[in-house]
Amino acid sequence: MKKFIKRNFNLGCRSSVLIFLSFVSSGFSTKAFSEDSTNSESFDFDSFSRIPVLRGGRVKPLDSVARNVLLVLRNKRTALNQDGTKVDAINWMATMLFNPEKANELKSFLVDHDGLLGLMGRKLSVDGKYYSFNDLEPHFEQIHKGAIEAGEKEQEKRDSYDQNVIDLYRSVQLYRRVMYTLVLSPSGTDSEMIGDLDLAGVFYDPKIDPDQTAEFIRFRELTGLLAANPDTIRMGSNDFAKVVYMLDHYSRSNIWSEFFPIPPELGDEKKKWRKIGESLVGQEPMDSVEKRNLDPTRFSAILRDLVQSNPEILRQQIVQLQTNNKLDPTVLFATQYAEAIKLRREVDPVLKLYENLRLAYLNGDVDAFDTSVSQIRSSAEKRAGEMVRKINFEKGYNSSEPFFWSSFAYVVVFILAAISWLFSATTQSKDKTSQAVNFFRNSAYYLTLVVFLAHTFGLVGRMYIEGRPPVTNLYSSALFIGWGAVLLCWFTEKYVRLGIASAMGSMIGFGSLIIAHNLSLDSSLNPTGDTMEMMRAVLDSNFWLATHVVTVTIGYSTTFLAGFLGMAYVFYYLLNKFLTVFGKSSNFSKKLDSSLRPVSRTLGSMIFGITCFSLFFSLVGTVLGGIWADQSWGRFWGWDAKENGALLIVIWNAIILHARWAGIAKIRGISCLAIFGNIVTAWSWFGTNMLGVGLHTYGFMDKAFYPLMIFINSQLFFIASAYLPVVFKFGSFIKKKKSLV
Amino acid sequence: MPDNKQPRNNRKKSSVGSRRKLLPWLIPFASVRLTLSLLSLSMILIFVATLEQVRIGIRGAQAEFFESFYGIWYYPDQFWGSEFLSSLPIPIPGGYLLGGLLILNLIAAFIVRFQWSSKKIGIQLIHLGIILLLIGQMITQAKQVESRMMINKGETSNYIERFHGVELAFTNVTDASQNQVVAIPQELLEKGGTFNHKDLPFDVRVRKFDRNCEVTIKQPDQSRQGLSKEVNRGVGFTSNLFLKEKEEDYSMDGLNFSFVVFDLINENESMGTWLALTHPAGNHVWESVSPQLADFAFQPLRYQGNLWGMTLRHEREYLPFSITLRSIANEFYQGTEIPFNFESRVTLNLDEKQKRDALVYMNTPLRHGGKTFYQYQMNKAADYSVFQVIRNPSWLLPYLACILVSIGLLWQFSFHLFSFLRKHKSTPRLA
Repeated sequence: MKKFIKRNFNLGCRSSVLIFLSFVSSGFSTKAFSEDSTNSESFDFDSFSRIPVLRGGRVKPLDSVARNVLLVLRNKRTALNQDGTKVDAINWMATMLFNPEKANELKSFLVDHDGLLGLMGRKLSVDGKYYSFNDLEPHFEQIHKGAIEAGEKEQEKRDSYDQNVIDLYRSVQLYRRVMYTLVLSPSGTDSEMIGDLDLAGVFYDPKIDPDQTAEFIRFRELTGLLAANPDTIRMGSNDFAKVVYMLDHYSRSNIWSEFFPIPPELGDEKKKWRKIGESLVGQEPMDSVEKRNLDPTRFSAILRDLVQSNPEILRQQIVQLQTNNKLDPTVLFATQYAEAIKLRREVDPVLKLYENLRLAYLNGDVDAFDTSVSQIRSSAEKRAGEMVRKINFEKGYNSSEPFFWSSFAYVVVFILAAISWLFSATTQSKDKTSQAVNFFRNSAYYLTLVVFLAHTFGLVGRMYIEGRPPVTNLYSSALFIGWGAVLLCWFTEKYVRLGIASAMGSMIGFGSLIIAHNLSLDSSLNPTGDTMEMMRAVLDSNFWLATHVVTVTIGYSTTFLAGFLGMAYVFYYLLNKFLTVFGKSSNFSKKLDSSLRPVSRTLGSMIFGITCFSLFFSLVGTVLGGIWADQSWGRFWGWDAKENGALLIVIWNAIILHARWAGIAKIRGISCLAIFGNIVTAWSWFGTNMLGVGLHTYGFMDKAFYPLMIFINSQLFFIASAYLPVVFKFGSFIKKKKSLV
Repeated sequence: MPDNKQPRNNRKKSSVGSRRKLLPWLIPFASVRLTLSLLSLSMILIFVATLEQVRIGIRGAQAEFFESFYGIWYYPDQFWGSEFLSSLPIPIPGGYLLGGLLILNLIAAFIVRFQWSSKKIGIQLIHLGIILLLIGQMITQAKQVESRMMINKGETSNYIERFHGVELAFTNVTDASQNQVVAIPQELLEKGGTFNHKDLPFDVRVRKFDRNCEVTIKQPDQSRQGLSKEVNRGVGFTSNLFLKEKEEDYSMDGLNFSFVVFDLINENESMGTWLALTHPAGNHVWESVSPQLADFAFQPLRYQGNLWGMTLRHEREYLPFSITLRSIANEFYQGTEIPFNFESRVTLNLDEKQKRDALVYMNTPLRHGGKTFYQYQMNKAADYSVFQVIRNPSWLLPYLACILVSIGLLWQFSFHLFSFLRKHKSTPRLA
């Protein structure tokens, strides 16, 4: 009979997990990773979203660019129509790239600061917080002015309005750059100059020309004239002046576009991705401001000489001149112009493909759209080779949103664990109690495993895409702290099935994912919206990232876990004391009272064991960090803020363990010490980054100050309340024999 | 550390008891309560010193708190209640005091408290490692010297310069093939007084020296004021500088302009008063600040048929070898301002015949002759590279300590973990 019940319950909790699994899998299905079959009546946006482009130093699917940009603009990975319905990221991106006028009507910006809304004459309660480009346009001048004024202030002196106006200004700039990535920006063109030079016929005219490439071909004809007849390269020549003007225009358009859509040219050893302007005229050798310091006569003389050489020799000359004249704008710009005139003779066919795509989108031509997408993709595969290998995975990874689903499931785990406590405390009959209690505890336990796997998938997916160990920045440290704590909790729960480890693990897991989400929204930490940013040179060492960073982060994770178990103890202890005073006779309190001793013991040994882990990982991690610092900065220890933070954790864990070994603190004391460990860890994790000093400030941020203060105070409150019974002499109510502390 | 209950039973068996009898005065130093107090105090020290870095920089905080026996902390103005508390000086025990006491505490514990048994070998290894770490850090703080070496592309350098600390150098360049240098180090300049040296034909009397000052260039027609008022020879006289007193800047990127005002004395008679001024980035930079100031790198003085050059430069150390910079690379991820590589290709010239090529880049320094050369700064446009050069005789200690601690921790905690797992497997689950 017993066996039967047990089996039944196991079945029960497994089935509940199954239900959840099937629920989650709707968002998590393998469908995301394989391409959808195309629907012949609408554009194949799935395939479109897999077009590889380069942004932020990394080749990624257009889908990631769309999501990341929207995350910066609107703090969400979607946009809104005028009527408030959602527009998914890739759809928004297509509108931005191909139909700017319509895109300007979509609500793409988040404006929720009262000062900014006031500036626009809007009310949060009436107009909401999402605005379109057209809504913002009348106020650009003021936003620009505000941003410049705020930018002139020192970072510490900026108030929230300053910060918000800067962020909004940057968002608008980002928005414009995205919009002008495939269609050249008209900014900076001077109609008077165009008239004087008789250039009007060169520029793209939608009424006459089939597409933008007509303009590029005309530009090539102009440069062709110079290449065929280098003598025309002199001051005062009209042909030369035309080319100079257009070259300047295309160079400027590089600054005004956001990402690199054109895959590396075949045979390019450096595998450089290009913007449209770069494809036409190459890259500016130095800041364009330096053009002012150009000597025009010398410039045209050098350029003339260069254009006269044959292409092979010219290539060598350019390399040589660029290495030997690093500070001479005249020579450097001459090399760029020579390259544009003589070496870049063709209009890249990918430009034509993108134009076909744009026109197909505008005309609603589904077949042409789908064909162009597949042509662009296959051309990118041919030209970029290995670089586009992870595109499909990343697209699938984006759609599966593992961290969103995990954070949701952590809440469910906590609720299950909490219900199990209620049952264990309220039901009288032993048999029934254990049945219901076990059901919920086991459900929480198995569900933890499932969420843990989803969380793991999220981490491993990032590792695969980045080709890096799990922790590379503050964002991923949050993901990893949660992951580590959940793993340990699951293990603890495996041996001590009280529901406590499950609950605390889910709390940390949920909390860390929420923190991670907020970190991804921070404009100073994550200006591009991509949490998988490239690593700066000093951190560019997978070995040390995998050893030092991972161990230290596990140290954070275990210290938090010990602290949360400490909180669980204090909560349990207080509840017990409270009921012994006010509800002596109730069954609930009796039951709780009788379980106080064993539960305290178990919690105490859990905290102790996990603190041992913490000391181990934080000590080893800190020492490894020292060795890394010795390798790369030349000193083992430099009293840098972040180093000191890590050392504080080590010392604090040592204090906890020694206090227990010496018998100075018992279970309540140890719990409170462990809770204080949360403060120490939070300080080390975030506090040190707010100081803005030291070598580790690559993660500088100050917005977290108030949340950090709230967290610290909440922990202090927990510690203080653990000693309430002592302070109020509740001790007299407590039976001496049963008191443990 | 032994469990609280166990020592009483074990003491008789182990040698702890006899050691205690032998050295009874050591027992109070070995107490865990002392350990706990010291650890708690070091938490306060580290926290306060980290906060103070915002105000006085890492180097300042290090000097005030870590490399001292005590430091004085003023409650920060930004904190709550600062109007009452900020004027109150709070003494904080310093790094040398706490570190020293911790070492004593640990060694005492080793002698009169730890059981020297194989079962506790993990504990002993951990604490031995900690002692090594502490000693290593103290030696490092006392002995480590940080310098830099700047090389232009294609050129060779055979000396390194201190980051902090200057010297007043007199170079006899009369014989172009062989320069003779006499330098007065900063410690002596700070003491002041008159200096003579057998190779110097004149005496040097230091009037004023400071590690930093504020430098402004005045219009030529304005009268000279400030610290260099009495200067009547050399660039300090012709360039009309206005020097104002300024505290040394301890922050990471702090720029300190050291200066010295000195007389040259020939047989008790002053030949004039000069000013020498250091540019924090090296005296060769003066030229680009203003051509008038270029001579701060080399103030010429003709004396008794010899040509001397005078300069107040970063203290130099000449090496028995030299380094040639062949090329540099500084690469960024495409479309970003995130660098992914800084590297210098160098040749290490040990002597006439022996040469060796080397690559110095992030996380991969060049170690030679007890010194380590790290890629520090680089200017791609101006084609130069700066190495940070460190001599730290105790660099091996942390590595050794790390190994000891890791073995000890693994030993001890795996022991605990297995007993925890065993216990919870055998006992029925708690409801």
